[in-house]
Amino acid sequence: MKKRLGIISLFIMLFIAFITVWNFSYQIGKEEGYVPVTKEKAHLPVIPSEKGVFMRFNQGLDYSNMPVDENHQRSLKTYYNNRAYHGAPPSIPHKVISERNMGENSCLKCHENGGFTEKFNAYAPVSPHPELVNCRQCHVPQKTERLFKGFKQSKFKAPKAGVNNALVTSPPVIPHQLQLRENCLACHAGPSAPKEIRVSHPERINCRQCHVPNSKVTKNIDAFLRKTKTNE
Amino acid sequence: MPIKSYLAHPHDGKKEELIKAISSIEQCEVMPAQNENLLVVVTDTLDELADKKLAEEIEAIDSLKLLALVSGFNTPINK
Amino acid sequence: MYTSVTNRRSFIKKMAMMSAMTAAATMFPGIMFAAEQEKGLPKGGNLDWKKGPCRFCGVGCGILVGIENGKAVAVKGDPNSSVNKGLLCVKGYHQTMCIQSKDRLEYALVKKNGKYVKTPLSDALDLVASKMKETIEKHGKDAVAMYTSGQSTIPEGYVASKFMKGAIGTNNLDCNARLCMASAVTGFLTTFGADEPMGCYEDFNHADYYITWGNNMAEMHPVLFSRMLEQKNNRGAKIIDFATRTTRSSMAANKSILFEPQTDLAVGNAICYEIINNGWVNKSFVEKYCNFSKGLTKMGYGTEDNYKFKDKPEKINFEEYKAFLDDYTPEKVAKYSKVSVKNIKYLASIYGDPNKKIMSLWCMGVNQHTRGTWMNNIIYNIHLLTGKISQPGNSPFSLTGQPSACGTAREVGTFTHKLPHGVVMNKKDREMAARIWKVPVEKIPAKPTYHTTEMFRAVDRGDIKFLWAQVVNPLVSLPRTSRYRPGMEKDSCFVVVSDVFPTPTTDVADVILPASWHIEKSGLYGNSERRTQHWDKMVEGPGETTPDAWMTIEVAKRMGYGDLFQYSEENHVEEIYNEYRQFHEGKKHNMAPLEVLKAQSGAIWPYVDGKSTQWRFNAKYDPACSNGEDFHFYGKKDGKAVIWQRPYEPAAESPDKEYPFWLNTGRVIEHWHTGSMTRRIPVLHKAMPHSYVEFHPDDAKVLGLRNGENVKVSSRRGSCILPASINERGLPTKGQVFVPFFDENMLINDTTLDAFCPISKEPDYKKCAVKVEKA
Repeated sequence: MKKRLGIISLFIMLFIAFITVWNFSYQIGKEEGYVPVTKEKAHLPVIPSEKGVFMRFNQGLDYSNMPVDENHQRSLKTYYNNRAYHGAPPSIPHKVISERNMGENSCLKCHENGGFTEKFNAYAPVSPHPELVNCRQCHVPQKTERLFKGFKQSKFKAPKAGVNNALVTSPPVIPHQLQLRENCLACHAGPSAPKEIRVSHPERINCRQCHVPNSKVTKNIDAFLRKTKTNE
Repeated sequence: MPIKSYLAHPHDGKKEELIKAISSIEQCEVMPAQNENLLVVVTDTLDELADKKLAEEIEAIDSLKLLALVSGFNTPINK
Repeated sequence: MYTSVTNRRSFIKKMAMMSAMTAAATMFPGIMFAAEQEKGLPKGGNLDWKKGPCRFCGVGCGILVGIENGKAVAVKGDPNSSVNKGLLCVKGYHQTMCIQSKDRLEYALVKKNGKYVKTPLSDALDLVASKMKETIEKHGKDAVAMYTSGQSTIPEGYVASKFMKGAIGTNNLDCNARLCMASAVTGFLTTFGADEPMGCYEDFNHADYYITWGNNMAEMHPVLFSRMLEQKNNRGAKIIDFATRTTRSSMAANKSILFEPQTDLAVGNAICYEIINNGWVNKSFVEKYCNFSKGLTKMGYGTEDNYKFKDKPEKINFEEYKAFLDDYTPEKVAKYSKVSVKNIKYLASIYGDPNKKIMSLWCMGVNQHTRGTWMNNIIYNIHLLTGKISQPGNSPFSLTGQPSACGTAREVGTFTHKLPHGVVMNKKDREMAARIWKVPVEKIPAKPTYHTTEMFRAVDRGDIKFLWAQVVNPLVSLPRTSRYRPGMEKDSCFVVVSDVFPTPTTDVADVILPASWHIEKSGLYGNSERRTQHWDKMVEGPGETTPDAWMTIEVAKRMGYGDLFQYSEENHVEEIYNEYRQFHEGKKHNMAPLEVLKAQSGAIWPYVDGKSTQWRFNAKYDPACSNGEDFHFYGKKDGKAVIWQRPYEPAAESPDKEYPFWLNTGRVIEHWHTGSMTRRIPVLHKAMPHSYVEFHPDDAKVLGLRNGENVKVSSRRGSCILPASINERGLPTKGQVFVPFFDENMLINDTTLDAFCPISKEPDYKKCAVKVEKA
């Protein structure tokens, strides 16, 4: 009897030891496999990139010598009409040559440098980011006017032209975001530029000497505040 | 004394002509849009009859494509 | 209430028009009506335009300020100014907006029991005068000091100098131009014996190449950069950017060449080596107009208190100089400068080509350098060896930082060793000053005392017991503010600060004096091309704000020096300028009379026989040349310029294991210096709301840094937390970080090193060692 009790208690002890060891190693294993879920703090840049500031340098000079073709100019209205909201990628308002092509062989033929197209009786708008050749990643054609279901378009406030200067004679600030649109001359100069925002001096290529961004990139910019204050 | 405002659409390329024509009428004030083919016209007449006549007069201008009434007010005299 | 029928009718008419315009706007988004656009804006036609120079940088653009009902409402470029021809930069266009800031200092504030109490100005000036007098009586003349600015007007600098050196009799006067242009001055004096550039901005129209040495003109001298771009486009002139950071200027340049910090000395010498060994030396020019000299080397860096240095120049010959350059073959230099042999030879070949006209342009990269004087000398060496100097388009051009660093700090001489004409060490110069100031010559001490860094060390040590800071914000702009802020907070020194806005410097003041801003007073500035420009008061300042010159005069009067300052309050600017002009009479430095400056957009000195002198030392243009030859470097007694043998020496502090990064500091286009003005202009603040630290993408990757993430930058002296910026405004070379210094809420100067050039005493803000970690 005593012997049997001894064997049983031995097994019980072994069993408990096994459970403990197993449990312990299981926990360890779990820990190893554990990846802590930390909240990624949003680190958002404040100043826009300088990439492309001086791109289209030479075109700027050509543009200054080009007469304005008043019969074929775009307006801000058509410019805004061609995108879902201000800042959205414009849709493709015409048929495309091929559905299986990267930009350099198709879209960029017309949209890298612009120029008059007989077929559309218009000047091709110039892309501010011709280095991104997978155009159709963001730009899609509109094949139908009809909708799948009704849709309520929420109003968006697009910046207006002619009201962006702080003082009567001061150069207007840049009222829109610069991401993917760092190159000013693409949209603000040349025959395809919307007439309201076409710059009168494209040859002055150092645009940001006088025109600075005025829109928050991602977060609100408060007025300048001193950390310390002279008390009165 | 009715006061009315209209949007006047000129025929293509005839904006200047229309501005000239309307602004030559005494009871009309014209404000052309800078960047669109459109004018705002405000009329100020003595009574309903004169107002009707004036509207007809404007409608008759050649360079005008479309005249659309936006708002109308009527203020009685000396009240 | 009675309303007239006609008014009511016109109101209803307006309503009718508004509703029609609203209807139009829904049909045509973005539609504009002429009248609507003008709404709320003053009518351009009725503005009264007044001329003056811009308040900000050393370019000295002409501005026209539009005044309506006594308020400044608009700014435009002065089309009559040959400097900018009607163009400005974003700071210039918005400058007058800062005076509308809500926290403008309108009244004098006196600290009582730790609190600032609004005090009538005249009482505050009484207190300043009595404190100053008391300090002099107790501790001697050298216990009081004045620290002014390259942004002071000519009359402000002049009365400060006359007050300290002539009336009180101490040389304890220095200015913040010590922090920006001192190396340029010593460079000019050692090489030519006469300060300021020989050429002028007209050179831009003639040069074939612009080589920029360590500066980012697209942001710091934007209007001049636009002139370069214009020439590049119209004539095919070429821009070569030689720098330690890829910037906006690099993007617009034809070629961008990067070098390791401090190795510009070696590359400059390598260019001279190439010029000599390829036979590109202009032999007749060098023989006729140049001497060769060498000075002391291994001078140290001035990081210890009371550091003293005096150079011992020694004449050498061409062969010795040539032998010295053997250490600087392109192959040897390429190894540590990280500039390829090909690029060094390319640079040398441009300078060496006799058919190409070259402008070298530099500013803080060369001047804020522990070997700044040497670096200035080396650039002149290149131009002298090739004879490309003092001719239209051939111009070594030292650009100035501040609007009147030339006009006030350098020409009036608000440095410890300077007098309006010459230096205190020279007996003749002291006699001249004594004669014009009507003081006994013994009054002016012959020994210079504290240069800027040493002045604030003396405040920290307790040697200076009274300090008056005018038009300057040292607690943001000094190197190593982590030492000098606690120094100025000490009770041992009574601090008076005159300013327009509260700054970290006014925070430590015992008395704050309310200064008039730029257009609220009359004044004169002198720009980089020796152009003196005048402006008349345009608007009234608020409260008790007063011009700085007048506050200095009032204090001088209260201390019993009234006889020396018999100027009238309304006309003091004119009276002071006319007195000051006497110092510079003669063909070498004559200043234009005030009538001329009032009538036209500035004039370049030497102004001789009613004409500006555009190119000095060239007999064709400069009436002061008297040796009968084509060129005459009349600053030196024998009429010859000096080619200096200056070696490469390492920086005061280089990156090591513990502090592995170079720290470079500088400016951005949107903000002027410490931002006390520009940050109060909404357009500029919104465009650049705070400072940041730039990384090379490779370094950021190793550190695991992302854009916008907070980073702690620390050196042996202090630390600063800023958001990281990768591939945005600028791109420093690998192993280097760059921080703009304008942000008083992120004081990067807490970390910088107060090492300086032993000859010029100008600190190096571009090189010290830091470590970075995520904050």
